[in-house]
Amino acid sequence: MDLFLQLFITGIMLGSIFALVALGWVLIYKCSGVLNLAMGELTLIGGYVCLWLYQSLVKTMPLMTAFLLAIVGTLIIGLILGLLTERIFLRKMIGEPILAVIMVTVGLSFFFKGMVFIIWDTDTQVFLPRVFPIEPVVVGGVAIGQVYIWSFVAAMLLMVIFVCFFKYTRWGLSMQACADDEMAALSLGVSAKFVYALAWAIAFMAAGVGGTLLGNINGLNYSVSLLGLLVLPVVVFGGLNSVPGAIVGGITIGLLQNFAGGYLDGYFPGGIKEIAPFIFMVVFLLFKPYGLWGWERIERV
Amino acid sequence: MSYLPCGTYFESYADDHKWWRTSFIQGKMIFMLVVLAILPYVVDSQWLSVAYTINYYILAGLGVQLLIGYCGQITLGHAAFVAVGGYTCAMMLLLVPWPQFMVDGGLAYPVTIVCAGLLAGAWSVLFGLPSARVKGFYLIMTTMAAQWITVPLVITQYVAQIGGRGQAFAIPPDMIKIGPWVIDTDTKIYYFSVVLVGICLLAMGNMVRSKLGRAWIAIRDNDIAAETMGVNIVVYKLIAFWVAGFFAGVAGAFYLSALFFVSPEHYEWFFSLLWVGIILIGGVGSIQGLVFGAAFVVIVFKLLEIAVMSASSALMAINPELGWMTTKFIFFKEASFGLAIILFLIYEPNGLSYRYWQLKNYFNLWPFSYTGK
Repeated sequence: MDLFLQLFITGIMLGSIFALVALGWVLIYKCSGVLNLAMGELTLIGGYVCLWLYQSLVKTMPLMTAFLLAIVGTLIIGLILGLLTERIFLRKMIGEPILAVIMVTVGLSFFFKGMVFIIWDTDTQVFLPRVFPIEPVVVGGVAIGQVYIWSFVAAMLLMVIFVCFFKYTRWGLSMQACADDEMAALSLGVSAKFVYALAWAIAFMAAGVGGTLLGNINGLNYSVSLLGLLVLPVVVFGGLNSVPGAIVGGITIGLLQNFAGGYLDGYFPGGIKEIAPFIFMVVFLLFKPYGLWGWERIERV
Repeated sequence: MSYLPCGTYFESYADDHKWWRTSFIQGKMIFMLVVLAILPYVVDSQWLSVAYTINYYILAGLGVQLLIGYCGQITLGHAAFVAVGGYTCAMMLLLVPWPQFMVDGGLAYPVTIVCAGLLAGAWSVLFGLPSARVKGFYLIMTTMAAQWITVPLVITQYVAQIGGRGQAFAIPPDMIKIGPWVIDTDTKIYYFSVVLVGICLLAMGNMVRSKLGRAWIAIRDNDIAAETMGVNIVVYKLIAFWVAGFFAGVAGAFYLSALFFVSPEHYEWFFSLLWVGIILIGGVGSIQGLVFGAAFVVIVFKLLEIAVMSASSALMAINPELGWMTTKFIFFKEASFGLAIILFLIYEPNGLSYRYWQLKNYFNLWPFSYTGK
């Protein structure tokens, strides 16, 4: 039972990070219809940028301040990179066929990955000195690492901020309008270009914080981008254009991954933990192709 | 007439569908065969290995071209099927107790090539089954899942452990033998690859211009319309997956003769994306485009390698601190490949084969062009 509780709680906390990254993915898809396969690399970039800022800041100021400033810096750099990416590469692809747009994001993922490894190398790097203390917090016989708790808090906080932004601000309103009906939004004076740029900037920022948190848990290396790819099972499960779907899907996939790692590893040694979400996704697609809350597309010839 | 006067005019369908339609095209093809035949005597072994790598990429990309370019089923997991082919071939060569006459007569390797193709085709159909229900992005997800399930899980964790050899399987060199010919030198690998590519391209070309190909193209252009016209789309989609898997399996089995061993790192997700990139660069829906794309990508990688190596050794001579460039070559390669895909999609969305077609038309009508370009 203890093992179950342990896996359950860490699963939810890990899942909250997936949910954060998936939120960025869903916003891009809702607003501009781009299916982004470069999300893994966006998390990688965010993680490395934050690590770099943190390590240069921590020499001169206390630990927590340095980390918070590094996260703010990551958000700002993510914003700039998101705007640039959209402007340089994606804006030219408006109206192109789906395969072309997807392959542009694949090209972006190669490009970003190559650049990250040229700049920061492939060795695993960790946040040193440790941001969160290593002693776990024991709640009712279940030990939870502090890094998980703080990741959960940070991911939830950021998610609430993004959802509030999307729901209550003027810019968020124009994003909602564009997602609902682009033609109508354009005719009412919403700038679609601005909305696309905003969506990419938010995705970069969400992925950056997600990468930072994942990097704090396991250290930063190539596998962070594979964890970022887990966003795809998440959005397939929740439905491609549903924000609540992304959050529920993220937590479900986090739980699934942890349970698979905890219970199935004895029967299928090796990489079952990483692969389980993908197997689940294939089976799920066979029965409910549009996810839990995705819009079903009705086709006409 | 030995050439087409102006534009293309044929008087019967049989003429229009001929492989070699005019004696000029015949001459061109014979010239190409001669060039392919004398290539090993002209270039050194470094560029010969480039040539057979191009052929390997053509074989592997053939299935991707079929699925994406002709049947409209986007696949991002083709390396999984190539891996199934490569591993089937290696395991059969190592584990099956071949009768002595088959080993001596050089029959073992051809038999394993066919088996590799059949098994990879079956594996491909298994992951093509969801295509009956989903398409577009969701199908991309299932083919990606094929990659993640096959290579890191099934092959690395289970298949590669059979026999306790570790992950890489080495093949005894005299097993790779077709009839009396032992394939052991670069020249022989090259000729073998040329023959294999010739057979596969011929098969593909014939399929595309038959009933099968017309059904695939109808599904690609609009699957609902195809269904109303009486095309059984599920069956034809699965046939497309099977044939694509078969080509991938043959490619995997062929590459064994060049490497003499298999290991999961030759079938990473990068290669699935590379092959899709190749057909995008060459031109979607064109067999010619596949050849152009494969040649372009492999030759550019080679030139990039030469450039980075010489640049870094020149820099090393000036300042030993700059030797890092050599170790990061692979990332330069990846980043520039990504950039190349993006630039091609933005500025040359029809691929290289469209440019070739334009060039051909220009000379066809020269000097009285009516395109105005």
